[in-house]
Amino acid sequence: MPKAKAAPDFLLIAVTLTLLAVGLIMVYSASAVWASYKFDDAFYFAKRQLLFAGMGILAMFTVMNMNYLTWRAWAKVLLGVCFLLLIVVLIPGIGLKRGGASSWLGVGAFSIQPSEFMKMAMIVFLAKFLSENQKHITTVKKGILPSLALVFSAFALILLQPDLGTGTVLVITCLMMVFVAGARIKHFVFLGAMGLIGFVGLVLSAPYRVERITSFLDPWKDPLGSGFQIIQSLYAIGPGGLFGFGLGQSRQKFQYLPEPQTDFIFSIVSEELGFIGAVFVLLLFCLLLWRGIRIAIGAPDLYGSLLAVGIVGMIAVQVMINIAVVTGLLPVTGITLPFLSYGGSSLTLILVSIGVLLNISRYSKY
Amino acid sequence: MRVSAVTVRRRLIFILIAGMLIFGIFTARLAYVQFYMNGWLTRQALDSWSRQIPYEAERGDILDRNGEVLATNVSRPSVLVVPKQVRDPVKTAEKLARVLNASKEHIYQLITKKASTVYIKPEGRKISNEKAAEVRSLHLPGVFIAEDFKRHYPYGRFLSHVLGFAGVDNQGLIGLESYYDDLLKGVRGHVDFYSDAQGNRMSSLKDKYVPPKDGLDLVLTIDHRVQTIIERELDQTEQKYHPDNAIAIAMNPNTGEILGISTRPDFNPENYQNVAPEIYNHNLPIWRTYEPGSTFKVITLAAALQEHLVDLQHDSFYDPGYITVAGTDLHCWKRGGHGSETFLEVVENSCNPGFVELGQRLGKDRLFSYIHKFGFGAKTGIDLEGESTGILFKEDKIGPLEAATTAFGQGVSVTPIQQIAAVAAAINGGYLYTPYLAKEWVDPETGEVVSRNAPQLRRRVISEETSKKVRYALESVVANGTGRNAFVEGYRIGGKTGTAQKVSGGRYLENNYILSFMGFAPADDPQIIVYVAVDNPKGTVQFGGTVAAPLAGKIISDSLQALGVKKRTGGMEKEYRWGDEKMIEVPDLVGEDKQTISEEYYDLKIEAEGTGDTVIRQQPQAGVKLKAGSKIRVYLGDKNDAGD
Repeated sequence: MPKAKAAPDFLLIAVTLTLLAVGLIMVYSASAVWASYKFDDAFYFAKRQLLFAGMGILAMFTVMNMNYLTWRAWAKVLLGVCFLLLIVVLIPGIGLKRGGASSWLGVGAFSIQPSEFMKMAMIVFLAKFLSENQKHITTVKKGILPSLALVFSAFALILLQPDLGTGTVLVITCLMMVFVAGARIKHFVFLGAMGLIGFVGLVLSAPYRVERITSFLDPWKDPLGSGFQIIQSLYAIGPGGLFGFGLGQSRQKFQYLPEPQTDFIFSIVSEELGFIGAVFVLLLFCLLLWRGIRIAIGAPDLYGSLLAVGIVGMIAVQVMINIAVVTGLLPVTGITLPFLSYGGSSLTLILVSIGVLLNISRYSKY
Repeated sequence: MRVSAVTVRRRLIFILIAGMLIFGIFTARLAYVQFYMNGWLTRQALDSWSRQIPYEAERGDILDRNGEVLATNVSRPSVLVVPKQVRDPVKTAEKLARVLNASKEHIYQLITKKASTVYIKPEGRKISNEKAAEVRSLHLPGVFIAEDFKRHYPYGRFLSHVLGFAGVDNQGLIGLESYYDDLLKGVRGHVDFYSDAQGNRMSSLKDKYVPPKDGLDLVLTIDHRVQTIIERELDQTEQKYHPDNAIAIAMNPNTGEILGISTRPDFNPENYQNVAPEIYNHNLPIWRTYEPGSTFKVITLAAALQEHLVDLQHDSFYDPGYITVAGTDLHCWKRGGHGSETFLEVVENSCNPGFVELGQRLGKDRLFSYIHKFGFGAKTGIDLEGESTGILFKEDKIGPLEAATTAFGQGVSVTPIQQIAAVAAAINGGYLYTPYLAKEWVDPETGEVVSRNAPQLRRRVISEETSKKVRYALESVVANGTGRNAFVEGYRIGGKTGTAQKVSGGRYLENNYILSFMGFAPADDPQIIVYVAVDNPKGTVQFGGTVAAPLAGKIISDSLQALGVKKRTGGMEKEYRWGDEKMIEVPDLVGEDKQTISEEYYDLKIEAEGTGDTVIRQQPQAGVKLKAGSKIRVYLGDKNDAGD
C-alpha cells in the first residue's frame, strides 16, 4: 500500500467550500419567501442547510483521513443493505411519499433517500469488482454482464419509486466506470442501442413522461400545465441578463417557481447573479471535475481510479442533468443540484464522497 | 487480456474533455437565454407578474352650441377580481353575492376563472358609489373597485336619435355616440402592479400607472332652445293627431348647421332597451325616403326661374283641373282646377298642371340636371350613420310622363335631409351646403378648441337673383296661398306645403299621407329653415296645409324669438279668407271717451277698469296686432289725470 502524503488536494477543498458557501447563500435567498410563507421563518431552510453543511464538513474531513481501501472491505455489505432499503422503501406505509414518489425512509427531517446511498454503495462496489476483474472487462460474460446486471437491477428498483432522475445518474455514472475500466467500445455501441430502445419503451409506458418530453420541446404549448416549470425557470434566467438583479432580488422566487431552493435553484442564481454568477458556478463545477479526474489519473491503483471517477462522475452527471433541465435543454426529471440545492441527506453524502476523493488524492502518484 | 493503464488514463482524459464540452454548451445556452432571449422573456415575465386594473377613460361630453350639456357621464364603478389573488373563493363569492344581489354560484364561477382579471358581470358592472364603498369595506383580497362610468343624458328623450347611446363598455352604439366614437371614447388607462403568485405586491418593482386619456368634448351645431321647441311641438302634434311618426328639422340655411332635429316615436337613450330596435335604429330625417310631394316643387320653380323660362307675375296659365301628358291625365289636387292664374298663383295654389308646364318648359334633361345639382340622388354627407340615398328615375327610363310627375314631386324618393339642404340652397342665394352636427371639439382639461368644423359648401346651384324670386314666391305662398296656416305676424315666413302619397306594395295608399311643410324666415334674410313631416295624422283633413304648416310656423316663430331675430315690418300682408283668424291692429285709445270706444271697436273686446269717462292708459299699446275678439284693457280716469 502506498504511503499517504500529508496534503490532500487543497484546490478541491477550496472549490468544495466555495460551492458550499454559494449554496448556503442561495438556499437562503431562494427560500426566504417560501419559508416565511410556509413556516413563518425566513431562515427555516437556511438554518437546516447550515446544520447539514456543518455535519457534512465534519464527515468530509473524517472520511478524508480514512483510507479509501477501507470502503472496499465494506462494499458487499453496503450494497446488500442498500438493496434491502430500496425494497423496503417501496412497501406502502413504510416509504414516505414526497412529490408523487415513495423514495424516503424515516421520520420528518430525519429521513433519508435510499437511492442516494445506493449510488455511493454501487460506486464502491463497482470500483472493487471492476478492479478485481479487470482481466475479464473486455468480455461480456465475466466483465460487462455481471456489473450491468447489478446496476440495472438497482436502476429498476429506483424506477419503481419512481425516480427516473436518480436512476439515470446511477446508470450513467456506472457506465462511465465500466468505460474507464477498459470495456470495449463496440459493447458500448450495442449498449447504447439497447439503451435507446429501453428509454423509448420507458417513455412510452408512462404518459406523464411523454408529456414532459413534449413540454420540453415547446413549453409554451401548455404554459399552465406540463410546460409550467420550464417557463417559470426561463422567466427567471432570461431577465437576469449579464449581471442579474442582484442578490436577494429574484422575482420568480415569489412562489412562481415552486420550492425554488431545491431543483430550480440554478434559475435563481442566474436571475439574481446573472450570466456572470451562473458561469462562475459552472466554472466551480468544471474545476471540481478537473480535480476529480486528476485524482483519478493520479490514483495509485485501478480501484482508486475507478472510485474517484465514480464519485466525480456522479457529481458531474447530476450537475449536468440539473442544469440541462433548468435551462430547458432536457425534460424535467426532478434532480437536485449538488452543493447548491437544499437537502440534508444528499448534501451530507456528497461531502462524504468528496472526503473519499480527498483521501485518494493523498496517495497521488504526482 | 489486460487493459493497460494508458487506456484508463486516456479514457479519463476523454471524460474530462467531454465534461468540459458539455459545460461549454451550458455556457452557450445561458448566453442565448440571458442575452438573445432576454428582451422577450423579460416582457413575458413582466406580463406574468403584472396585475392590471383598468382605468376607464371618461367619454367626452356632448354639448349644444351654447354649452348646454346633452350627454355626460356619472361615476359608476365596477367590481374587478384578480382570481389568483382571491384567498378564499367560497367566502369571497358569498360576501360579494350578498352585496351585489347576485347568485353565489355565478360569482364563484367568475372568480375562479383562469384569467388575470375578471369583471363581475353583469351585477358588478357600473354600480352605485354606495355599493362600491360597501364592496371596498369588505376588504376582500383580490377584489378591486375600478373607476368606470355610465353615460347620462340629462335631457332624457331630447335629441335621442341624433345623440344615440353608448353601451356598457362605454362604446358608442348608434347616433353621434357611434359616428364619433373614436374621438369621444378616449384611451383606457390602467395601473399595473407586480405581484407574486400569491397576489402580494412585489415591493421590488414599482407600480406603473398609465393614466387614461379622456375623450374630447363635442360641441354640436344644435341649439338646445330650438331643439326644445321642436320636441315640444312634436309632442303636441303626437298627442293631437296620433301620427304613425313625425319628424322636424331646423337648419341654418346659410351654413348647413343643424339647429334642431327630432323624430317621433323617440326613446330615452338611458333605457333604449325599452323600445323596439326599429325605433332607435332608424333616424327618420336621414334614413326615411318617400315621395316628397309638393315641397319638391320648389326645385322645379327654382330651376325654371334660373333658366328664365317663366315670369311669375306676368305669365299666366289655365288649369282645367288636369293636364294630359303622353296620353295620361294628370290631375290637379283641386277638383275642377284653379282656372286662369298667374304663375305666382300657380305656386301659391301648388297647382300640379302648372308645375307640369314648368317641367315641360325645362325639359327632362335640364329638370333632372337641376335635381342632381340640388343634391338629390346622393347622400348629403351629414355626420351620422345610416343616411339613405333616395331613388330617382333612371336616366334612360325617363319619359315625358316621368318628367311631368317629377316636376310636382311624385315618382321620386328622397330623404327629409336632402330636401331641407336643397331648399336651403334655393333660398340662401344658391349655395348647397352639407348639413352637419359637429361644430367643434374641445379638450376637456384645458377647455381649448381642438378643431372646428367649417360649413362645407358643395356647389352653387342658382343665382342670388333667382333665389330672391324663389323667396318672394314662397313668402307669397304663406301670405296668400296653401301655406297660410304657417303665417306668423312679423316674421315673414316663406314656405311650401307638401302632401306626400305613401306607396305600399307598388300602389298608393288611400287616405294615408305624409303631410309636410318646408318653411323659412325671415323671407328677406333667411336665418332658419324648418322642415316638418307628419305621417298619417288621425282625425283631420290630410292636407299639408292643415297639420304641418301651423306646426312649422310655430317652430319657426318661437325659434326666431329664441335666437333673438327681430320681427320685420314691410312683409306681405296676409290675405284673409273665410275662416281665417283676422289680426287687428290695436288702435290708440288714450284720450278717447268711454262712449266712443264702446260703439266703434267692435272687433276687439274692451274691458274697462277704474272710474271716469276718459281712457288714460291701455294694454296692449297701440299698433300691436291681435286676433279678432281679443281683449284690450283700458283704464278710465278723468281727463285731467291723463295730462300728468
